[in-house]
Amino acid sequence: MLNYILSRLLSAFVVIFGVVFIVFMLIHMVPGDPVEVMLGESATAIDREALRQSLGLDKPLWQQFYHFIHGLINFDLGYSLHSKKPISELISARIGPTVELTLASLLVAFMIAFPLGILAALKKDQLADAGAMSFSLMGVSIPNFLMGPLLILFFSVFLGWFPVSGKSGLDSLVLPAVTLGTALAAVLSRMIRASLLEILNEDYIRTAKAKGLSRARIIGLHALRNALLPVITLIGLQIGALLAGAVITEIVFSWPGLGQLTIESIQKRDYPVVQACILLISTTYVVVNTLTDIVYGMLDPRIRLG
Amino acid sequence: MGCVIKRILLSVLITAFLFSITACSDEQANHHGINKAIRFGLSTAPVTLDPLQATDAASGRINRLIYQRLVEFGTDNKPIPGITRWQQIDAQHYRFTLLKNSLSQFPRFHHNKALTAHDIKATYDAVLDIKTASPHRNSLKHIERIKVLDEHTIDFYLSRPDPLFPAFLVIGIVPEDLLKSGHSFNDKPVGSGAFVFSHWPFDEQLFVRRQTDQQLFEFLKVSNPTVRVLKLLRGELDLIQNNLPPEHITYLKDNKAIKSLTKMGSNYTYLGFNLNDENTSQLALRQAIAYALDRDKIIRYALGNGAQKANGFFPEQHWAGARLTGYNSDQKKAIELMQQLGYSGQKRLQLTYKTSSDPFRIRIATIIQSQLKEIFIDVDIRSYDWGTFYGDIKNGHFQLYSLTWVGISTPDIFRYVFHSDSLPPSGANRGRLNNALIDQLIEKAEQQSLTEQANTYQELQEQLHRLLPYVSLWYEDNIAFFQDDIHDYRVSSDGNYDALKHVQRLLPATKAQGSK
Repeated sequence: MLNYILSRLLSAFVVIFGVVFIVFMLIHMVPGDPVEVMLGESATAIDREALRQSLGLDKPLWQQFYHFIHGLINFDLGYSLHSKKPISELISARIGPTVELTLASLLVAFMIAFPLGILAALKKDQLADAGAMSFSLMGVSIPNFLMGPLLILFFSVFLGWFPVSGKSGLDSLVLPAVTLGTALAAVLSRMIRASLLEILNEDYIRTAKAKGLSRARIIGLHALRNALLPVITLIGLQIGALLAGAVITEIVFSWPGLGQLTIESIQKRDYPVVQACILLISTTYVVVNTLTDIVYGMLDPRIRLG
Repeated sequence: MGCVIKRILLSVLITAFLFSITACSDEQANHHGINKAIRFGLSTAPVTLDPLQATDAASGRINRLIYQRLVEFGTDNKPIPGITRWQQIDAQHYRFTLLKNSLSQFPRFHHNKALTAHDIKATYDAVLDIKTASPHRNSLKHIERIKVLDEHTIDFYLSRPDPLFPAFLVIGIVPEDLLKSGHSFNDKPVGSGAFVFSHWPFDEQLFVRRQTDQQLFEFLKVSNPTVRVLKLLRGELDLIQNNLPPEHITYLKDNKAIKSLTKMGSNYTYLGFNLNDENTSQLALRQAIAYALDRDKIIRYALGNGAQKANGFFPEQHWAGARLTGYNSDQKKAIELMQQLGYSGQKRLQLTYKTSSDPFRIRIATIIQSQLKEIFIDVDIRSYDWGTFYGDIKNGHFQLYSLTWVGISTPDIFRYVFHSDSLPPSGANRGRLNNALIDQLIEKAEQQSLTEQANTYQELQEQLHRLLPYVSLWYEDNIAFFQDDIHDYRVSSDGNYDALKHVQRLLPATKAQGSK
């Protein structure tokens, strides 16, 4: 098991470094110059050169990359080119809201997906199955940029139950979490249904039935545990995506998360902030997926042995 | 199964913990009186509160509240005294004297130090210092020397005559002591304006406090216009201004619970041509396009009547504005011009129109595409993120594009945009206009008094109107919507937020009395 974990961690490190390198190169290759964006067209060549020097953008790319990596090793992410604020400050202000939204969305997704998926599997080809899967299809089909305003219109403007947007308290978390959570629940419930249906036809389930075990025990202890394996992989990927920033939802609900910061920094060509955000996002993805792999290995010995 | 239940329980516990943290921050917010703040919805957040670095509109408008400037602009956009009055000693020498305010006091900074001529010198020296990398340095580069005469008087010496010089002294004044100590004005701005910085918890949320009555104001970025409108309707915002699609404007105007104010704006939207392109360099083609555009319809249907047709850079009431007869929609004439160029229903012209990814700008582009289709022009619309779009325009990689000049108040813009010396990256002559007469008129105006300049700029704009490097489209109106209990708000022609100095929220009792 230790070897398995070490190999996963090593490959995680390689992936993160690769992502950081590729993003660094790509962001410097796309059209648009931060100096031009900051100074506008009225600046003289001397002004532009001075700013380029003060930002370290006059150095060769490899030196800039070395400087970035050197900073990382010393836990120094640098400063935003535009706001001149320390990037660690910018990011740390966003992590809390992002984690809150992620956990709340997962909670919503679990609360919907598990009952719905199990019900659909147990009542296969019946009305409950059709109803659950229709709901799921609706959840997948309605994009967040539509779901968000619809929820706002109904629950905030008409009923007045929740604030429209912004981060102001517990109630402000509900609508963004439901917007993100329903989309995730839709995918999860379909996956749980499909996985559970496959497991329910296995020989060992038939054996359990023959032994006279209760239906609840068979589903809960034998079927669901094994059906969760592919679901865990999906959850791992989705947690990564949610932490990386559900940009549309963040924009609709003015939620001060990482996604908004990343997009705005890309638009402003704020290279250091983009790099730091991508580093954090890729690290989150890789860490969550590495943990998923490890949990997967724990649940299914064939994987770590293979 | 037990494992799953444990995980779910763990998630619930973690979420509950985070909720409790959020609840704490709410209490803190209440303690600061945030709930009593007048809340102003913005479409974009300010980038920096350092007046030496700020260039974006949101930063500029909020900085005007925190810092004071030497010079302001009158209704005709001529420079008028801000915190100083001035006299021209000679063509290259101006003297500025600090003025007392309505309480007969000289201005003071928020950290209670008096604002003196030394602070003015320190501010402008810092802008001119190349190490500061201020984007405003170029507009002030002909300041040769700044000399403090006494606490309240300062002299500016120029390297060349410039009758418009006072109009460029619009940088917010920062205190010399803090500037020298390397204070970060972006995080903790200290000015002498009507508003004191309070706190800035997120880029999207900024709090300032009005000095006279300690009223707190919250600037909140809500980028999605629909959500901004819904927040206003729900009472989560007290005021919003501009950047709304026409359907939202109509919807809010019909809402009895929301008050609105409109003022003709001065932000100039235009259609630009690349004069180095083999097609768009033809005057007849540019004229055909100008005649093909039905601006009245665009303004009525796409802008909800929220704009005025423009014929030049400045509205007529601007001191340098020109009285011009615009290219009114005339499809017949446009088709004739296209036929003269050899185009017809069988032989159509292909042009590329570049725009940003802003949905409203894309909507305008599709309308223009549709109108040009009638005169045998097939327009290929390409929308890009701002950095890419701006880069392409500056580098001349376009045939047609549309943009808006925001906050232009002085006619030095003509040199910046149309002089042959101003080709990017040395200016904003994006269309690559190279015309000796235009250059000559710009240079002539720069040597004249303001009265003489007005006549020269009239002539210059007539020439530009004839040459058509731009098709003037419109000046978008400034429109504000606010709650019924918000009182004394006014909209300015450049969309600034200066009226917040006077705005009041009526208390329920006052409201009842008012309604009686």
